[in-house]
Amino acid sequence: MTINKQKNENGLLISLEGRLDTTTSPALEQELKASLDGVDSLVLDFEKLDYISSAGLRVLLSAQKTMNKQGEMKIKNVNETILEIFEVTGFNDILTIE
Amino acid sequence: MADNNKNTVVYRLCGKIDSGNAPQIEQEIFTALAGRGDVLPVLDAEALEYISSAGLRIILRLKKSCGDVKITNANSDIYEILEMTGFTEIMQVEKAYRKVSVEGCDVVGEGQNGKVYRVDRDNVVKVYKNADALEDIKHEREMAKLALILGIPTAISYDVVKVGESYGSMFELLDARSFSNILAKEPERIDECVYEYVKILKKLHSTHVPEGKLPRLKERVVKAASYTKDQLPEGLGDKLMRMIEAIPETDTLIHGDCHTKNIVMTGEEVMLIDMDTLSVGHPIFEFMRMYNSYIGYSEYDPQVLEDFQGYPAETARVFWKKTLCAYFGTDDEDVINSIEEKIRCVSYAYLIDWSRRHKAAETERGRLTCELWKKRITELIPRLDSLDFEVNEATRDDPNELTLEAEKDNLTRVLEFLDRRLESCDLPPKAQMQLDLAVEEIFINIASYAYSPNKGKATVRVEVTGDPVTVTITFIDRGVPYDPLKKTDPDVTLSADDREIGGLGIFLAKKIMDDISYEYKNGQNILRLKKKI
Repeated sequence: MTINKQKNENGLLISLEGRLDTTTSPALEQELKASLDGVDSLVLDFEKLDYISSAGLRVLLSAQKTMNKQGEMKIKNVNETILEIFEVTGFNDILTIE
Repeated sequence: MADNNKNTVVYRLCGKIDSGNAPQIEQEIFTALAGRGDVLPVLDAEALEYISSAGLRIILRLKKSCGDVKITNANSDIYEILEMTGFTEIMQVEKAYRKVSVEGCDVVGEGQNGKVYRVDRDNVVKVYKNADALEDIKHEREMAKLALILGIPTAISYDVVKVGESYGSMFELLDARSFSNILAKEPERIDECVYEYVKILKKLHSTHVPEGKLPRLKERVVKAASYTKDQLPEGLGDKLMRMIEAIPETDTLIHGDCHTKNIVMTGEEVMLIDMDTLSVGHPIFEFMRMYNSYIGYSEYDPQVLEDFQGYPAETARVFWKKTLCAYFGTDDEDVINSIEEKIRCVSYAYLIDWSRRHKAAETERGRLTCELWKKRITELIPRLDSLDFEVNEATRDDPNELTLEAEKDNLTRVLEFLDRRLESCDLPPKAQMQLDLAVEEIFINIASYAYSPNKGKATVRVEVTGDPVTVTITFIDRGVPYDPLKKTDPDVTLSADDREIGGLGIFLAKKIMDDISYEYKNGQNILRLKKKI
C-alpha cells in the first residue's frame, strides 16, 4: 500500500493506494498518529484503494474517534466493494462517505 | 617431558602451539628423538588446546624426517583442524573420547543398535550395544546427513563419546521427549501424536532418493520370505513369494524402524532419530516394521510390547489403527482392514525368518509366538491376491492444501496460495476480494489466538466445485478449542464513540460467506467456509 500525504494549513489529505489489510494497516496507523496533531479536517481518498479488511477498519474507527474530538473526517471515492464492507459493518453510519 | 616406549617416542603436546613457541617445541621434539634410531613419534594431544599452522608444519617436518607420525587423544577442536587440513588422511589420528555417564538418565529412545539417554536438558547420547561401534556410528551419521539433505527432520551427532566400555554419539535435542514417553504418561495426547507421526511418515514416503544411496528394504524381505515360504503348507509359500516379488519398486524413503521410541518432540519440532535403518522402497515395508513393533513381536504375549514401549499393548493397537486411518485418509473399516491384511502378510513373512535368525524358538514364548505367526499367515495368504496398495493417493502433495506456521507474517503466503488456487476459476474480482477478506480474517484470528503465547501450524484447504461454482475453504489448527461462531456479533448500529475498536474480523467473514461451520475433532479446530459464486 502507498500512502500519499498532502498538508494544507489545518487540513490533511491522505490518498491510499493498494490494500489496507493486516500487513499494511500499521503503517497507516503510524502515519495518522504522527500527523493528526492540530488537524481539524482529515480527508481520506480511497480512489486507488482496492481492498480493506477488519485491520483497516480498526484504523479508520480509531481515526474517526480522534477526529470527532478535534474536527471532521471524510472519506471520498470509495469503490463499490469497499462500500459494501462499510455497509455490512455499519461503518457507513459512522463514517462520512462522499 | 617425553615418555619413551620401545618403538615409539611419546611426546606430550600442551596448551597452545603457535608461531611464538613453535620453534622451541620443534627443538624439544627433535632433541627427544635424537639418537633413538628408527622410531615412531607419537604426539599425545590430550592437553593440547590449540595448534596454528606453525605447529602443523612441525608435524609435517616430523613425518618427513621419521617416515610416519601418530597423533593420539585429539580433542574435537584439534581433530577438526586436523581433518580440515587433510592431516587425518596422511597420518594416524586418534580421537580423544569424552567420557559420559548415563547412570540415572532417562531413556528417550531405543533402536536396534542401542539406547538413547538424555544426559541433560539439551543433550542426548545414543549408546551402542556393539562394543566396536565406530563403524556403526559413522554409518548412522552418514544416514542422518542424507536424511537431513533430503529434508527429513533429524538430529546429527556432534561428538563421539565413551560410555563405560561402549561408544556413544552425542546429539543436541532440546527437551527431547519420545512419543512412547508421551503416550505412556499423557495418553490423552494420542491424536496429536498420530497427526505428527502420519505427517512425518508421508514426508518420508514422498521423498525420492537418488539411485544407489540407500539399501532396498524389499531385498531383505524377499530374502526373509525365501526362508519363510518353506515353513508354510504346500502352495502357500510360492504364492507368498510371487506376491512379495510383485510389490512395486519405488525410490522413496523408508525409515525402517519408525516406531514411537524413534520419533521425538523437541520443543515445537518433531524429529526422527535412529536413522541407521534408512532404506528405500514401497511404504508397505515401513508399515511392516511398524506392525512388527506395535503388534507383531508381542502378538502372542502383549507384555512384550509394554516392556519395550512403556505403554499398554492396547494403546499400541489403537495408535496403530488411528495411524492407518489418518495415513490412508479413511475411517472405513473394510478399507483399513484390507490394507492391514496385506501389511500383516508381509510382516509374518519377515517375522518367521526373524525368529530363526534370533533363535527365538529356543524359549517357550518365542516358539508359541512363531507358531501364531505361521497360523496367521496361513490364514491370510489364500485371501490375498496382491500386496500392493494405492499409496499415490495418500502420499502425493496435495495442491489444494497449504500447511504453515500460523503467524501474521505468513498472511501473504496464504493469500498467494489462495490466488494461485483460484486463478484458473476466473472468478469476478469482487468475489475474489471477498474470499481474500474471509481468508485474511480467519487466518489472522488463528495466528493471534489459537496457540498464543506459543506457536503452531495451520492448514488451509481450498476446494472448488462446479455448477453453481462453490468455493469451500477449510482451516485446520491444533490450538485451543475455539468455536468462532459462538462469538457474539458486534452491535453495528452504535455511534463511532460507542463502538469498540476491533472484533469485526469473524463477523465480516460470516457476513461475506454463504455458510460457515465449525467442529472440533481429533484435537483439531476445523472451520469450513463456503461461498457460492
